[in-house]
Amino acid sequence: MQYEIRQRPNFSIARITFDAPGEELVVEAAAMVAKDSAVTMKTSMRGGLLGAAKRKMLGGESLFQNTFTATRAGETIWVAPAAEGDMAAFDMDGQQPLYLSSGNYIASGPGITLDSQFQGLKGFFSGTSFFMLEAKGQGPLLIGSYGGIHPVQVGPAGYIVDNYHIVAFTGGLQYNVRRVGGLKSIFGGSEGLVCHFHGQGTVWISTRSAASLARFLHPYRPVESKS
Amino acid sequence: MRYQLLYQPVSTMAQFDLEQGEQLLVEPGAMVGMTPGLDMITGLAKQSGGGGIFGAITAAAGRLLAGESFFQNTFTATRGPEQLLLAHTLPGDMAMIDVQGAGLKLQSTAFVASTPGVQTTGEFGGARTFFGGEGLFLLSATANAPNQQILIGAFGGIQELQCNGSLVIDTGHLVAWDASLTFNVTKASSGWISSYLTGEGLVCSFQGQGRIWMQTRNPPEFGSKVGRLLPPRTN
Repeated sequence: MQYEIRQRPNFSIARITFDAPGEELVVEAAAMVAKDSAVTMKTSMRGGLLGAAKRKMLGGESLFQNTFTATRAGETIWVAPAAEGDMAAFDMDGQQPLYLSSGNYIASGPGITLDSQFQGLKGFFSGTSFFMLEAKGQGPLLIGSYGGIHPVQVGPAGYIVDNYHIVAFTGGLQYNVRRVGGLKSIFGGSEGLVCHFHGQGTVWISTRSAASLARFLHPYRPVESKS
Repeated sequence: MRYQLLYQPVSTMAQFDLEQGEQLLVEPGAMVGMTPGLDMITGLAKQSGGGGIFGAITAAAGRLLAGESFFQNTFTATRGPEQLLLAHTLPGDMAMIDVQGAGLKLQSTAFVASTPGVQTTGEFGGARTFFGGEGLFLLSATANAPNQQILIGAFGGIQELQCNGSLVIDTGHLVAWDASLTFNVTKASSGWISSYLTGEGLVCSFQGQGRIWMQTRNPPEFGSKVGRLLPPRTN
């Protein structure tokens, strides 16, 4: 299959063109925008009930994913993320896994498997857990983010990224999670967990965070009346 | 200090490349990514000209009052060249603006970062803001060294205006202005009732000569449009 990302960078959408009948694309629930009517859709829980439930609870993805199958060559399907922002495409080579933050998965070829991975947490004061989706296998993988997607090559010195801004990173990187800020965290400051990456690889960073947008909107919600 | 604004104008992020010894004062929460060699010190916002610890606390309390975080992070490249990525919350642009002469006033949420020679303190934009739905909480920024700059973040695009005499701007669209301008916050129309009915809330009326930066979208307006569609909160 061929794909191209259009309307970049603020309202990106991917158009996938199937090369042959029988070709499949797995799409996150609600990410399908448009398709040729002959393309068939099957809803399933990938990895069975347990695998799907784990992915939903831990990775934040939906319980169900849709598999779209071409009936002849040249058929197309369009997929897009929910938030305004960019998309990125990866041609997975079957060698190196890619780790995705929850909620960023959009679509993939049938050769890609997804699994929720607890990424551990090294930090005494932190009560927050940290889960990522591990994408493995061969074929195309499409992800989407709120905001722009900024790649950073991690050099020998390493790189630190705010957890809410991690979109994806290559499997070859080592990292540990920690809390930043001394005084500030005692007083409940806003910066939370960061990921300190080491080794050789790439981290993709989003330039906006849905969590901080939610924090901005929260005070504007109506207040529940006590009566 | 070199900087680049990336992904303009909607998803703007600032990339700073600091040489050894260079510093940046940053709003907590704005750090997106950085090289690990940067030292980060969380401190009370600095107070200009002494004042000791009491002065520092007063300045920090002013910032808290102004809706800004109590603390400011100081990032220092102590060992060599380092990189820092900064962004703010809402979709929109960022700009580096020069702190000139009498300094700048900023809408409190517009401050993202500054060069180390800038001191910020919080203040109210006048008693009238108590009565309006949208308050105008200000930061006052002054420079104690030449060539000082502030990185501002906006909701929407950033439009720079030159005030020659007088100008009126909706408070929700204000980002920053030269402190050489005098201003007062008033209702947009003459009566409270027509002010309520037209939906035009508070405006800032400027007099004098100076630069004004406005944002093309209004955060409180957006917040209340979306907020009223959300389920009620209990806290």
